[in-house]
Amino acid sequence: MGRSYFVDEAVEEYLSGLQAAPGSCVTGLLAGQSSPQRDFVVLAVQTPHMESEGQPKASKGVSPLDDIDVEWVTEHAKQVSRMLPGGLCILGLFLVTPPELSKDAQNALKRLIFAMDKYIIKGRLWELSEEDVTDRVTLHICFKTKKLVCKTFDVKDPKSSAKPADWKYQTGISSSWPMLACSVEVDLQIPVTGSSSDNTDKCMKDGLRRWAKPIEAAYCLINGRQALDDSELISGQVKTLSFLCHVDSTEQSELDERSSALVQVCSGSMRVRGVVHCRAYIHNNKPKARHAAQAIKRDIINTVCSRVEMFLEDLLINEGSQKGAVVHHVLHVLLKGMVHPKMTILSSVTHSHVVAHVFVFLLYAVHKRRYFEEY
Amino acid sequence: MQCDFIFRLKGILEFACQLDNSNGAQSQSTISKSFQDLRSKVSSKNIVFTVCNSPVLIWPNAGFQSSVESLTEASACGDILQCIESDDGGRKKSSKKKDKKKSGPTVVNMKLLFEVTEPAGDEAPSLIRVSTQQHCVKMPLPLDCTLSVTTDESLATVCTGLVEALNKQLADMEEVVLRYRKGSSFLVPQPFHFQLPKPAGLITVIYPAGVPDSQLQAVREDLHRKFKLPCDRPYLRRANAFHFPDAAYKDGYLRNPHIHLNPPNIEDAKLYLVQGVYSYHHYMQDHVDDNGWGCAYRSLQTIFSWFQQQGYVETAVPTHTQIQQALVDVGDKEPRFVSSRQWIGSIEVQAVLNQLLGVTSKIMFVSQGSELATKGRELANHFQTEGTPVMIGGGILAHTILGVVWSENTGQIRFLILDPHYTGGEDLQTITDKGWCGWKGPEFWDQNAYYNLCLPQRPKTI
Repeated sequence: MGRSYFVDEAVEEYLSGLQAAPGSCVTGLLAGQSSPQRDFVVLAVQTPHMESEGQPKASKGVSPLDDIDVEWVTEHAKQVSRMLPGGLCILGLFLVTPPELSKDAQNALKRLIFAMDKYIIKGRLWELSEEDVTDRVTLHICFKTKKLVCKTFDVKDPKSSAKPADWKYQTGISSSWPMLACSVEVDLQIPVTGSSSDNTDKCMKDGLRRWAKPIEAAYCLINGRQALDDSELISGQVKTLSFLCHVDSTEQSELDERSSALVQVCSGSMRVRGVVHCRAYIHNNKPKARHAAQAIKRDIINTVCSRVEMFLEDLLINEGSQKGAVVHHVLHVLLKGMVHPKMTILSSVTHSHVVAHVFVFLLYAVHKRRYFEEY
Repeated sequence: MQCDFIFRLKGILEFACQLDNSNGAQSQSTISKSFQDLRSKVSSKNIVFTVCNSPVLIWPNAGFQSSVESLTEASACGDILQCIESDDGGRKKSSKKKDKKKSGPTVVNMKLLFEVTEPAGDEAPSLIRVSTQQHCVKMPLPLDCTLSVTTDESLATVCTGLVEALNKQLADMEEVVLRYRKGSSFLVPQPFHFQLPKPAGLITVIYPAGVPDSQLQAVREDLHRKFKLPCDRPYLRRANAFHFPDAAYKDGYLRNPHIHLNPPNIEDAKLYLVQGVYSYHHYMQDHVDDNGWGCAYRSLQTIFSWFQQQGYVETAVPTHTQIQQALVDVGDKEPRFVSSRQWIGSIEVQAVLNQLLGVTSKIMFVSQGSELATKGRELANHFQTEGTPVMIGGGILAHTILGVVWSENTGQIRFLILDPHYTGGEDLQTITDKGWCGWKGPEFWDQNAYYNLCLPQRPKTI
């Protein structure tokens, strides 16, 4: 029995409005939320053209399918997934081809979907639970006939084969999805051993992993009550959300063995501090309180992680341009050319409730200021 | 005044600091600053107490918010019990005798949590990189505070008391960390609770992890002085730590099965019992089949366990082989004795206690079992002054005597016997119901056999 994808009508509009040069292909992402029984797709966004300088790349292979830049598609997917609010993730890919390429499209989609999932989950700090759906959807659209072929692959099984899936359009899929929001103060001190950037990365990952554990295990209170069980989360009733954590992630067994402090000689340390604002949406098909709690916890962890990743990328770019032992960086990353030109499209295909809050960071190298823009 | 409740709050805080160099006054102030930050943290409005196995959440520093409407500041702390879901999946095994015993205070276990979603500020995230060489020190502080109260004490008082206890414990931990620090080597400060005679009650002492009791003598002397404790017996060794009634013993041995028995009702007689805690050792334990020959070894193990749990020694209870080896080492037996199934008697028990523990024992001899009935005074004195379990061997059997009920006037006597010949599992009900631990009269002894008793003497030490 295949999966059922309930897709917002706005996505249908978007997909039918896609333009492609004759004989060429268009790839893009599908985003939304999965639940054990069914999946909801609320957003589609085309892979932007890479701004290439100089000569256009020569065709690699026999067909335009071979020209699909897998790295670019997956990079786009990663950047978009960073910006999605909690509860939403990249559910799959679409591929629009001219009729003569349709029969090879499935193979191309399979390659892309596995590559994309592998890239997105790299560096993720929380583990999938048993209830998480690992099927990803591939949608093939024939440019001429507009015929849709929808299949799923289980990305945790590299040998999995395509399974058929239903693709149904509906209006206002996300219009009544409850939203949870909270602000979390972060203050992490992470020692850095060694001096290469690989070392820095590893130290940050380890430090973040330690920080994330109590967040994952935290008590989540929705309206003052613990969101532990399968009680339903009723839309409109969420008034307050709070997280209570055990302060330290040290396990009892580790504690029993530890008789002295862990001392590391470091070449320096990194401190991440500030307040992150997180939000998560949960579908309205009998959502359970603990899934909502899980969605926002993951968003907290993802948000902090991706900020740190961007900080580190920024540091690498600016390495050597600052003098002195203490270097203060505030984050700016330009996503121009990746997503920026598409932001207007994003906001028009998605229902205003859902992806209305997407953060964009603009680079102002000279002024070192940071902007948030909400579309 | 009887205390009805012990509130026990546990949590782990991470101590972290960066030292530019390992020594000097600058390090000390850096360390103290980190502790000061932790004290601020537990005084902040973001701390939350949760009562284990219940939905109760209390914000003690935020105007006493509670997650359960019926529990307010003014509620009696006993009301908390109604909110706790007890997890007794199994039936409570108790013989009718057990119900008559007075039970101790109820322990309410709590955990320390932090609310991370009430940020004090609103600054956007930033990353600060420091590129100087440093020693980064991280250490988990295992906080464990207790508060003993009566049932009508208000929750507000309990919570204020616990917050104070947290602050005090952090201050005590800071002192221990600074005192035992060597350069950039820090020892984890570990809390131990001790039940002292009134008025002190339940106190908490912080000891540095890894420093053995033998090196903490001076610390104990100070505390004995402070709490006016006798200086001839240990109260504050790690082994003397208070055993919370709801905690299981990890090793699986039964402790003090005799407390579940009612002493016989003899007119005009007084009760003289072993003092402190011992484990019940008997046939077939530890996968050793010593059925038929090991009874004296087991009695010796019971006695050894007493010395271990009263804090006189940190070594584990010896195996049969180790006992035999000790006898070879003192020249009492030939080397082939080791791994044999030969019996031992009171004299050997005395020798082993001396060899492995440095404990001396008195030997009491009776030429006939019937004479034991006349030894009431000696045994009563022994339990009063030394309070150690007594090994008795005679005929072909060895037993452990844990106490007597004896009347000075009529001479009537009963013996509390712990029988090492039991071959079953650690089932308290069977052991007490079937008399494997039980009160026996003088007819219990073989009236014609001669007996030797080994009465271990307490070392005078703290």
